[in-house]
Amino acid sequence: MANLDKVLTLERRERRFAQLVALPGMVVLVLLVAGPLLYMLFNSFFANTLAAPIPPRFNWGRNYLNLFDDSRFWNAFFNTMKIMVIGIPIQSVLGLIIALLLNKKFYGSKIVIALFMMPVMITPVVAGFEWKIILDNHFGPLNYILGLFGIQPLAWLSKPTLAMASVLIMDTWQWTPFVAVVLLAGLAAIPRQVYEASSVDGSSSSETLWRVTLPLLKPMFALVVLLRIIFIFKIFDPVQILTGGGPGIATETLSVLTYIMGFKNFDVGMSSAIAVIQLVIITIIAKVFIGTIMKPKEAK
Amino acid sequence: MMRPKKLFFIITIICTIFAFDVFSQNKITITVYGDEGQNLQPVEWLKTDAAAKGITLEVVGVPFTSVYEKLKTEFIGGTGAYDVVIFYPSYLGEFAEFGYLQPLDSLFSIHDPKMDDVVPAYRDLYCMYNGKTYALPYDGDVLNLYYVEDIFSNEQEKAAFKQQYGQELQVPKTWDDLAKVAKFFTRKKGQKLAGKTLNQDFYGFAFLGARGFAYAWWANIFGSMGGAYFDRNMKPQINSKVAIDALNFQKSLMPYCPPDVMNMGYEELKNAYLQGRVAMMVQWSDVWKKANDPKLSKIVHNAGIAQMPGVKQPDGSIYYRAATPVGRIIGIPTTSKHPKEAFWVASMLSLDYGLRSVTSNDTGEDPYRLSQINNPKAFEKFGTIAEATNYLNVVKDNLNHLFPDINIPGSAEYLDALDVAVTSALSGTTSVTGALNTAADTWNKITQKLDPARQKKIYNAMLDMWAKHGFWKD
Repeated sequence: MANLDKVLTLERRERRFAQLVALPGMVVLVLLVAGPLLYMLFNSFFANTLAAPIPPRFNWGRNYLNLFDDSRFWNAFFNTMKIMVIGIPIQSVLGLIIALLLNKKFYGSKIVIALFMMPVMITPVVAGFEWKIILDNHFGPLNYILGLFGIQPLAWLSKPTLAMASVLIMDTWQWTPFVAVVLLAGLAAIPRQVYEASSVDGSSSSETLWRVTLPLLKPMFALVVLLRIIFIFKIFDPVQILTGGGPGIATETLSVLTYIMGFKNFDVGMSSAIAVIQLVIITIIAKVFIGTIMKPKEAK
Repeated sequence: MMRPKKLFFIITIICTIFAFDVFSQNKITITVYGDEGQNLQPVEWLKTDAAAKGITLEVVGVPFTSVYEKLKTEFIGGTGAYDVVIFYPSYLGEFAEFGYLQPLDSLFSIHDPKMDDVVPAYRDLYCMYNGKTYALPYDGDVLNLYYVEDIFSNEQEKAAFKQQYGQELQVPKTWDDLAKVAKFFTRKKGQKLAGKTLNQDFYGFAFLGARGFAYAWWANIFGSMGGAYFDRNMKPQINSKVAIDALNFQKSLMPYCPPDVMNMGYEELKNAYLQGRVAMMVQWSDVWKKANDPKLSKIVHNAGIAQMPGVKQPDGSIYYRAATPVGRIIGIPTTSKHPKEAFWVASMLSLDYGLRSVTSNDTGEDPYRLSQINNPKAFEKFGTIAEATNYLNVVKDNLNHLFPDINIPGSAEYLDALDVAVTSALSGTTSVTGALNTAADTWNKITQKLDPARQKKIYNAMLDMWAKHGFWKD
């Protein structure tokens, strides 16, 4: 009994020591992560403008009410959703096709994969500039190529629908390789025996794809979709460079609007409220994904 | 006992450090802030003169449409990073009212900027606040109507226009005439223009449609229809019938504009005109100089400039107003550690380098002093003396018919909301009425946020100044 007490005391001491060692790290984490988040949440409940020397006033959540009544906020929200709802399925399908092709070993496949990753590695600002040149109405190579097929030059960045399409094209160009590489890693992790068993059972290639590959890739798909949702909520630099949110506000996303509210209009309260709304939406989506699709299946 | 050699070595090092310290204390570094590119070129020219006075000039350039946000951030932070700031006059009211800039009158003795020589409206509206001088002029931006001369003087075109509209083909003096001429000159590739077959589509008109300053192109029409931003009680007038009519009219011009007009900023719009793709456009004054530079232009000595079109009044006269987006002025932040040297730099840029700046194609600066506007000889390198005289007369005329930007606290936010409304309506994202109503609603919220009583007082003072110069009638 006395020995057991001794062991428990020792364990308690060790735990306390571990807590003590972890404390500085925890403090830093709270200060660096939770601190700014709480400050943002705090600001979102205040009428707080830096445009004029006026002290902040608690406004009982009116920033949120104003946002829900603001057509510009809803426009930015739906633009972000458009990029998500149209962009992610296209990128997922393309990414899967590319991953399946790259999964077949061929000479120089590693170089192809490395080259293929280049758009992901390019700084978003550079990508924005690149596409601004590619889509230029007069000097852009895309309109030149279309012209070879007798298609009249398109004002890609001047018409609302085309401008949104341009953002989607650029986003797909930049992020499809990312989707492909994540799925490729998922494919590589599928044990060879599973395919061999499927082959022994006499499955055709399409049956193997639908019944073996895709179900086993589901967690990777969920991960990549979740990451893309988070990235799209954060999309700022390429849109700002390519269209500046225009024409009008046709391509203004939530991140662009947050920037305008915060750093052009210096309305700290409103920009914090938009940021909090984004954070809440992302957290809910992540919770759903992690809690359902990505949840590891329990052994039966 | 230390050896003499070692002692000598140590003393030498100490003396060197001391001398370097004294020397670096005598050297003053003045940091100049402005929008990057051609508009900071005069600061580069000044560097030699400044060095002779023991001043080192450092330049911080920011993008054209980010001048306000970067400067305001610095002013809020108050780090004193800039000694001389070049910014747009629409922000003067805010910066002066909130104490970010220092009054300059007491510094005039350092290097007299000769403010009597500045175009009076520009000086009073854009350099002064509450009766004090807070800025020196740097760039006299005003919008003008440009046209390609030879197609207007072509006999075939004149005859065709007369047959179609029953009136002479002339450079339009009214917006209604501009719509007719724009429609007339809009042609498809393969059609003829002034006897020549077109190898690309040709458009009658172009304006700046990219986000940032697009509101000003609408303001030309709005102003000439008698519009005003607010009434005396700070009720927004940007969704009035006049405002809606003006925007509907601008939208009706869209079929005669290049398809990428909503993506046209300064460069794109300038190039459309210089490359001969449009018959007419509205642009800042410096484009006339660039249009007559063979390295940049296909319409050398063929670039016509005219007063802003207007609206015909019952007595037959034409009421017209020219907007003044951008424009540049020079101020000195209250946080500058070297205000005297900073003022010398500001005054040199405004006065001594002013003429060189407005007569050079290396900059984008436009005339703002009477001595520049009355000096056609200085502009002779861009055309004949008659062409230069005509150019300066048109600029002077438009400067005398200004539709100034608002320059009260929050101007940047007010104008951004207006810009969003104008570009959204023109691009078809929202209806004209809906867009302007939303902007008016936003303006009310901005006014409420920034202390309505103070805003009203400052706006009314601004209107009084407009009235003094004949730009406003109650």
